[in-house]
Amino acid sequence: MKFDTIIIGGGLSGLTCGIALSQKGQRVAIVAGGQNSLHFNAGSMELLGNVDGEEIAHPVEAAQRLQPNHPYRKVGIDHLEELAQEAKTLLDKAGLTMSGNAKENHWRITPIGVTKPAWLTLEGLATVASSQLPWKAVTLVELEGFIDSPLQFVETNLAAQGVQVKVARIAPAVLTQARRSASEMRATSLAKILRNHQALASLAAEINQVTTADELVLMPMFLGLDDDALAALQAQVKPRLAFLPTLPPMVPGVRIATALQHYFKMLGGTYLLGDKVVDGLIEDNTMRHITTAKLQDVLLKADNFVLATGSFMSGGVVADFTRIYEPVFGLDVEAPANRADWTLAEVMDDQPYMSCGVATDDTLHALKEGKAVKNLFAIGSVLSGHNAAVQGDGEGVDMLTALAVAHRITNRQ
Amino acid sequence: MAATTQTTFASANNFEQCLKCSICTVYCPVAAVTTAYPGPKQAGPDGERYRLKDPKFYDEALKLCLNCKRCEVACPSEVRIGDIIQRARMQHPQRPKLRDVLLANTDVMGTMATSMAPVVNLTLGMKPVKAVMNATLGIDKHRTFPAYASQKFETWYRRHAAQTQESFSKHVSYFHGCYVNYNYPQLGKDLVTVMNALGYGVHLLEKEKCCGVALMANGMHEQAKRQGETNMQSMRKSINELKRPIITTSSTCTFTMRDEYDHVLGIDNRDVRDHLSLAARFIYQLIDNGEVKLAFDPNFKMRVAYHTACHMQRMGWAIFSTQLLRMIPGLELIELESQCCGIAGTYGFKKENYENSQAIGAGLFQAIKEADPQYVATDCETCKWQIEMSTGVPVLNPISILAQALDVEKTKQLNQN
Repeated sequence: MKFDTIIIGGGLSGLTCGIALSQKGQRVAIVAGGQNSLHFNAGSMELLGNVDGEEIAHPVEAAQRLQPNHPYRKVGIDHLEELAQEAKTLLDKAGLTMSGNAKENHWRITPIGVTKPAWLTLEGLATVASSQLPWKAVTLVELEGFIDSPLQFVETNLAAQGVQVKVARIAPAVLTQARRSASEMRATSLAKILRNHQALASLAAEINQVTTADELVLMPMFLGLDDDALAALQAQVKPRLAFLPTLPPMVPGVRIATALQHYFKMLGGTYLLGDKVVDGLIEDNTMRHITTAKLQDVLLKADNFVLATGSFMSGGVVADFTRIYEPVFGLDVEAPANRADWTLAEVMDDQPYMSCGVATDDTLHALKEGKAVKNLFAIGSVLSGHNAAVQGDGEGVDMLTALAVAHRITNRQ
Repeated sequence: MAATTQTTFASANNFEQCLKCSICTVYCPVAAVTTAYPGPKQAGPDGERYRLKDPKFYDEALKLCLNCKRCEVACPSEVRIGDIIQRARMQHPQRPKLRDVLLANTDVMGTMATSMAPVVNLTLGMKPVKAVMNATLGIDKHRTFPAYASQKFETWYRRHAAQTQESFSKHVSYFHGCYVNYNYPQLGKDLVTVMNALGYGVHLLEKEKCCGVALMANGMHEQAKRQGETNMQSMRKSINELKRPIITTSSTCTFTMRDEYDHVLGIDNRDVRDHLSLAARFIYQLIDNGEVKLAFDPNFKMRVAYHTACHMQRMGWAIFSTQLLRMIPGLELIELESQCCGIAGTYGFKKENYENSQAIGAGLFQAIKEADPQYVATDCETCKWQIEMSTGVPVLNPISILAQALDVEKTKQLNQN
């Protein structure tokens, strides 16, 4: 079976690359081993949030100070702004309206109520212009029985910034009786119930009972999975609403994942969900074909291959008791040789293992035994050279390396 | 400290690999429409932790699982959530109701019904009969039983096809399944037409039993296991002595025999699995390897929407059917978003499941109406019943479409050797 390009990994990076290539008329297949980590995304994209321990307001400018092996160096610091704009346009075409730009960060509110710098945030979610909250008072909506939002943390963290917090409890019958099993009273489940207009109207009525028109109301995002429920709810309530992400799986993240998968398929892309690449043949520094667990002896061939398998969490790199390795093709990995050097004592420190990943040349070709594989690129979190948790650059690296590689592939034709 | 360090996962169905991420719950079609089902995470790995401690934690709500396996397709950690649920149901059997015994014993029902097909079809279609079945058996009155054929596929094969099959140089065995045998022999005839045109003789297995999927769904696992062992024995003979691989035209039969025999019933099928394939995949591979060529009827025109059946999605094989359909020059293909149709074999026939079954399928029915195709193509027979009943659009197996689109004589000439 032959495609122009085959992408291994169906997360943000793989989908971005697949969409960009399909837009250029390529026949693309993505092999996705189950659903992706966008399901744990709070609805924001980070480009660069922290350099040398300092929170960043102007990411493009601050990128000049990044370490020499950072993946942004391989897409070109001078191209960051242009690629970031292209990424935003791609999201917009997939039906995802996001606010923000690459020159200036805004600050998002995390599920526990602290602020973090962000590049793009999905429409409807609460954002502020700086790390200092501008609010005097807010009302937090607490839904009875809802298990996906630690509102006491939010309350404490907002209060620590001097915000007066009022908690408004609601218990709309349509939602509280919705789950006989309390363990399933979660954001994505409620969002399915709230696709129904009557259910949404009853939620609006409850909110109107406990709030007034002059309040700013923050509420967990348990609606708007794949519909316009956020806007519809806003139209029916008196106060202004701003939404907070919940614990995973998060409604905004699932919304992004779904929209990108739909858009890729709409462009003619083949999305092989629930399959897994098990092997590949590399000869003369060229990837000839790959095989998957489900397609077995049907070889998947392509002119170019892209590895977008993610980091440790997604199995793109694996650590055992002696080594850190790339499990599919045995590609070169950048990691400290000595196991003791993988970690630091304090969990919140800049843990060295977080920067481990697949080694690439300057144009993001993956390396095997020191040599670049001519038609195999690596993109996104599988790459070495950065720590997304500390540097706040996860989605930026995912999308920008994907776009840079898509350009290299189409320019090569 | 243990003497050795465990470095591989040892638990059944990857139970230990569950990270509690809950992604499966997002993709469960049952949990999306009913509050009575706790969702795959709770019913599967979470509940399993308790059940391992004490069987009294077994929850009757597990019978609401329709075994679509979409949780397993979504799971990033390869946990076989659906298999965990199926095994739990198997370990907590209930005496099946008369209705479930009738629905599950497709062989017995089929043999009885085909011998009196005109009468049975007429009777099962009558309103008073439906009302009685609804009241006494709990078979929903909205359902129409798929019509029984007056001649079994096996009978047709022995009378009209068997004699000529040895004349081919290459051979396959065909596991036709209950549906082709009792309800829709035309699909089997189409399969024989296509394979003969490609230069392959088609043979029945020495002994074929129902794959057992309906028995498993209705708590009759012991019987399912016996039937499974019989099928494996016939297939071993076909593979080892006759050197004939086995092909099928039903995605669910294939999935059951390749995967659930091992994962759920504990039947050792390792030596058979790789020789058992869906015809669409088998034919695609022959074409992909340059071993056969197809010639199409230049006048063939058809607008088709392809529906990915749940077990087809789980096997990851929809690509073979869609690629095959795309080879037909006069065929316009629309790929529907992969979602459950709600029938899940015998599940949707039960009165207590009817409403959920239709609610689950609503999204698919809407998508089909919007696509407005001449035919829906799918590899699953029970999806066919559900889609035809719920949308009025006729449904064909891709092999039947191929049989219609081929220039059979020309294809035969291309593949003579």
